[in-house]
Amino acid sequence: MVTTTRRSFLKTSALGAAGAVASPYLVGGVRAAAPIDVGVLFSLTGGMSIIETSLKDATLLAVSEINAKGGVLGRQINPIIEDGATDPKTFSERASKLAIQDKTETIFGLYVSATRKAVLPVIEKRNKLLFYPTFYEGYECSRNVIYTGAVVNQIVWNAVPWIVEKLGKKKFFIVGSNFLYSRETSKVTKSRIKQAGAQWIADEYLEFGSAEAASLVNKIKESGADVVFSNIVGSSVIAFYREYRNQGLTQDKLPIFSTVTTEIEIAALGPEFSAGSYTSLPYFQAIDSDANKSFVERYRAFVKDPKAVTHQPVESSYFQVYLWKQAVEKAGSFQADAVREAVRGQEFDAPDGRVRVDPENLHTWFTPRIAQWQPDGQGKIVDAAPAPVRPLPYAAYGETDDNLFCTPHGLDQKKLKS
Amino acid sequence: MALKRGHLDLIIYGAFVAVILVAPLWLDDFWVNRLSKYLVYGMLGIAISLSWGYAGILNLGQGLFFGAGAYMLAMSLKLASPTSLQSSDTPVPDFMLWNSEPGAVANLCCINRVSFLWIPFQHQWFGLIAGVALPSLIAGLLGTVLFRRRLAGAFVSIITLAFVLMIRLLVIEEQPLTNGFNGLTDLALLTIGNFQFDPYDRATYYLVAVSLSLALIGARLLVGTRAGLILQGIRDDQARARCLGFNVPAFQTLFFSVSAAIAGLAGMLYVVVAQFASPTFLDISFSITMVIWAAVGGRSSLLGACIGAIVINMIEATASETAALLDLWKVIIGLIFVLAVLFLPRGIAGLAGSVSDRLFAMWSRGRGQAELPSGAAQPAE
Amino acid sequence: MIDVAFIGLSIGAILLLVSLGLAITYGSMGVINMAHGEMVMLGAYTNVLLGIWLNVGFLAAIPVAFMATALVGFVIERLVVRRLYGRLLDTMLATWGIAILLQEAVRLDLGLSLVGINIEGLGKGLQKVAAPDWLAGVVTIAGVQINAYRGFIILLTAVLTTATWILLYRTPLGIQVRAIMRNPKMAAACGINVERVNALTFAYGSGLAGIAGVMMSGFMTVSPEMGAPVVVDGFLVVVTGGLGSLLGTVWSAGILGEINGFVSSVTTDVVARAAVFAVLILIIVFRPNGLFSFRAR
Repeated sequence: MVTTTRRSFLKTSALGAAGAVASPYLVGGVRAAAPIDVGVLFSLTGGMSIIETSLKDATLLAVSEINAKGGVLGRQINPIIEDGATDPKTFSERASKLAIQDKTETIFGLYVSATRKAVLPVIEKRNKLLFYPTFYEGYECSRNVIYTGAVVNQIVWNAVPWIVEKLGKKKFFIVGSNFLYSRETSKVTKSRIKQAGAQWIADEYLEFGSAEAASLVNKIKESGADVVFSNIVGSSVIAFYREYRNQGLTQDKLPIFSTVTTEIEIAALGPEFSAGSYTSLPYFQAIDSDANKSFVERYRAFVKDPKAVTHQPVESSYFQVYLWKQAVEKAGSFQADAVREAVRGQEFDAPDGRVRVDPENLHTWFTPRIAQWQPDGQGKIVDAAPAPVRPLPYAAYGETDDNLFCTPHGLDQKKLKS
Repeated sequence: MALKRGHLDLIIYGAFVAVILVAPLWLDDFWVNRLSKYLVYGMLGIAISLSWGYAGILNLGQGLFFGAGAYMLAMSLKLASPTSLQSSDTPVPDFMLWNSEPGAVANLCCINRVSFLWIPFQHQWFGLIAGVALPSLIAGLLGTVLFRRRLAGAFVSIITLAFVLMIRLLVIEEQPLTNGFNGLTDLALLTIGNFQFDPYDRATYYLVAVSLSLALIGARLLVGTRAGLILQGIRDDQARARCLGFNVPAFQTLFFSVSAAIAGLAGMLYVVVAQFASPTFLDISFSITMVIWAAVGGRSSLLGACIGAIVINMIEATASETAALLDLWKVIIGLIFVLAVLFLPRGIAGLAGSVSDRLFAMWSRGRGQAELPSGAAQPAE
Repeated sequence: MIDVAFIGLSIGAILLLVSLGLAITYGSMGVINMAHGEMVMLGAYTNVLLGIWLNVGFLAAIPVAFMATALVGFVIERLVVRRLYGRLLDTMLATWGIAILLQEAVRLDLGLSLVGINIEGLGKGLQKVAAPDWLAGVVTIAGVQINAYRGFIILLTAVLTTATWILLYRTPLGIQVRAIMRNPKMAAACGINVERVNALTFAYGSGLAGIAGVMMSGFMTVSPEMGAPVVVDGFLVVVTGGLGSLLGTVWSAGILGEINGFVSSVTTDVVARAAVFAVLILIIVFRPNGLFSFRAR
């Protein structure tokens, strides 16, 4: 019924104008081909809007850079931006709109796993591609999703042995928010702790979004643990770290080691509550490379905020657009099937280092790192793997490099069951 | 032929049903699916209107009944999905496999402490029946406890609020049973006989449209019965109704349960159209938003509440999909709520009612008939 | 054991801090103010803004937040609530709409972000609040370790509750409010300016929420959505405590806080929350007027 919205038209003309001015390729009077529509689907309102808006911005940054250099296959990218409003029902509807009405072959987006699950039916039925930039709990093997976020084995596997060896801590208190990511990460962590010869004393959960951490911190105090392994997410992070210090616990004696806390929460916490704690993720804003420094500068210029922070999913949102571009150019087509085959094995020099899309399971190879948060709000890298690590979305169930559960044929459920 | 007030009702209802049945002819796949969702919300509007406008019970936790219906059907559809059948001869939901202890038997009876509750859902008809039965049952129990104690309006509302919050908490907590936060996804298509209901098929749309029409007409007939009139008497003055000898709690519980059944049916239809069930159905913001739909559309008008739900959702979708309004659509919705409550206490239906009253009076006068007194005891629109 | 009791007490104190304002407006005006959580949010943002723009600590923020949110409450009462007097459920819905508007106002930098202006301290992001150093850490009293910040909250709540009690029971204005609580029509017949008193009451209740917001900004995330979960808890406490009873609100906040504290120390936080809801529902079912109540039904 409706084919071109006013927005997409304006965007087209704006981008077209920008491209014409900035790009040397178009100055020569070459007629530009019709722009290619892509979906950009994040929560711009609601509880997750703070984080997801930065992901939208990073996506648009990549789009504008690519367009300035001539676009993809000679066509300018036209991003159609939709708001999921932190609600799976809304996400499902917007994804339908992008896939069916706007007929975009590719959608960049989503953050919370529950929303990704809600859009999968329409993406899979219509055979579109979703580029998903968020680190998540794994256990998924959809051929319609390119997972450019880290999975648990790239975050936890390096972390636990490092804590035991370098920090000398042997008694883990695991905490999380009451939902899938925390629970599944906790499972992987427990088995890794056992392998490392340490022990986990407790595994407790806060209600998702709760700000009342007093009881939990009290339990930590009385447990005799010497390190807290935290998978707490969202607004509870701030409440937890604050309560921690308010009850007299210090990061040097009983550090918090997190798989989730990023520059965004650290900025909102302030150094007195966060300095000395650790996070394990592949990307940190403080990574000292030219590529990353340039990325941070360009991002800040794009969002017009000199104090903006970049964090893991921001980096993924940025480089996944480039991965898509490379795949399209290799395939010579925008069609989902062609792009999917072409994206297998694609590599890119991301701000944090080399990343690669695994040809088997469509997840991304990352270099695991560990950082300790400093008083200036940045993470000082204290450990980095020598090379990118293969993503294993089913690591908790015994998946290893030679025994892959997720292949181009789909998920091998028999392996999962054992 | 004399045109009576009652006939006007028939015409309007008939027109509405005709419009929704004919709409797909001009709409593409996407809009057909989207409109199906809005029709489901319309059913929720009817449920709220029945409970609030006619029975005087403001249910702030209607999402509970919607969610219950949704989960019942979703459980059956999950078991029917290919993802549940691949690792064992009997269906076991994939998330249970992921959550199970090592060495557990891959069978619904024993894979975890609570999985046996899923066993009856292997039959699709069980899920279908439970989707309407469970909400009605909960409503019946809740109603019996609450109404017998003669709780006043606000207290009932607060309890329904606390109840839905509590159930939401438990649903998210019991991950081995419900898959917690992620909800039930990867569902099979609803299959009746040899026919599969694909969410983007016209057939699915008609399933929803017909259900809505039946619910609408059924509710309308219900409030026109003697029981319905008594109910309105109870709504207007409980003490008087009691003094007149009516069994007030019984009537209230009955209509509360019917309202819950409609909401449960809506939940099931939503699962068919959207292909997932989620604990976000139990969010209080969703439940309160449903009430706002009914308030804007007209709480004492079944059709008004239904249309209110559809229209507000359309405005929301259009506003949030327009670039210029991307940031503003929530402000628009908030303004609509406040203005509607302030200036349209009987909702748009009330406004339409007053306008049509006046037009009708003018028509009657023009035909030399007596003017209809505006306060006549007519069944509400 | 005492640790757990103290935690329960502090949870109760936070509940009470939020519910106090609600109790006043619900008790005297019968108004269910769904925007109360947003008043808390505005109080928190006042603290943030004062910290950024005027570099004042949060002690100074307390009276400013009180005045600011009281003013907002006054305006809301005049514009909206007044017209819905007597329509309890409608007030609830209208104030829910206002809550949305307030959230969006803060999220959009009071509308300025639409034209590209960003106000530091507003907007959709998480705001940092520096809690004062002199309240960080632990104080040891009689061998019991007490979190200083929570201790301060308990003290502040006690002071505010006492102040409210004095206001209600020892001042002429308080007599008027209580008269309106018992019977608004008779109060009007006795010459009390019901409208003016109601406006002041609503403003006072909102002001208390503002102070709660300042305190909560010290340990909660400050974002435009922080107020929403707060209002539901507040209502449950108020309704359980009983219409119009300050004492009832105090008791119910205390009881619910202690239940939360004890249950969560034995099991998990999540079960504790469910238990609190269950207890609440039971109290309302068996004592529909709440623990204490003045209005005869």
